[in-house]
Amino acid sequence: MGCAIVAVYAALRVALESDTLRKLPFLNVLSFAVAGSIALIIPHPLSIVAAAAYFVGSTLESNAIASTFAGGLDRRE
Amino acid sequence: MDGTLLILLQILVAAAVCWINFVAIDLFFKLPEKGGVVGAAAIGKRIEEKGGGLHGGFMMGNIVSSPDASAGTLLASCGVFIAGIPGGLLAALLVYIGNRICHDPGYAGTTGCITATFIVYGFTLIGFSAAAFIAGMVIAILTIQGISHVHASRLLSRLWKVRRG
Repeated sequence: MGCAIVAVYAALRVALESDTLRKLPFLNVLSFAVAGSIALIIPHPLSIVAAAAYFVGSTLESNAIASTFAGGLDRRE
Repeated sequence: MDGTLLILLQILVAAAVCWINFVAIDLFFKLPEKGGVVGAAAIGKRIEEKGGGLHGGFMMGNIVSSPDASAGTLLASCGVFIAGIPGGLLAALLVYIGNRICHDPGYAGTTGCITATFIVYGFTLIGFSAAAFIAGMVIAILTIQGISHVHASRLLSRLWKVRRG
């Protein structure tokens, strides 16, 4: 319940923020809330894998979006 | 004590414990030092333009760009909630794989996941519910990434100055 409220709040902040790069931390909160909800709603051993896969996937997407908007290749310094 | 109040209290304590765990480990692994990928650095600079702290912004960018200790703490709580210590350690393995997928050379996520597994398990022994730690970690990340980027990044920058000495 709490996780769902945080998820909706984060989704609203993502929608209201105009700058794409500054949207991403709010999107990160949304991913946390959804990953937490997955584990809380489906208490099955595989849901650990589902929550982790969802979370890592969304992080990788944010990483790609941020790197694209930064105008460079995704490379470590 | 009233049951709902007890759950709320557990969540608040869990949020504080999660916050300390992930911020301490991220600082230890020097996440605020620089943006690990160009995207993380760009997020840090954009937050600084709005009046935030640059190094705090780098840390927030790094949290966005790869599973760090905060993600480790969340997934460890999920793992312990579902399957106890083995669940937490499975989550640590998944975070390790996630770090490699995201080109992250660091071990903040894996370390945070392992420490959180034992912390959360320890708290379940004194009557806490692991579910409170899932909710607590969501609240902890909300305070850093989801309320005010300017204030959160300034706070993290101050903590980074202390860490750097």
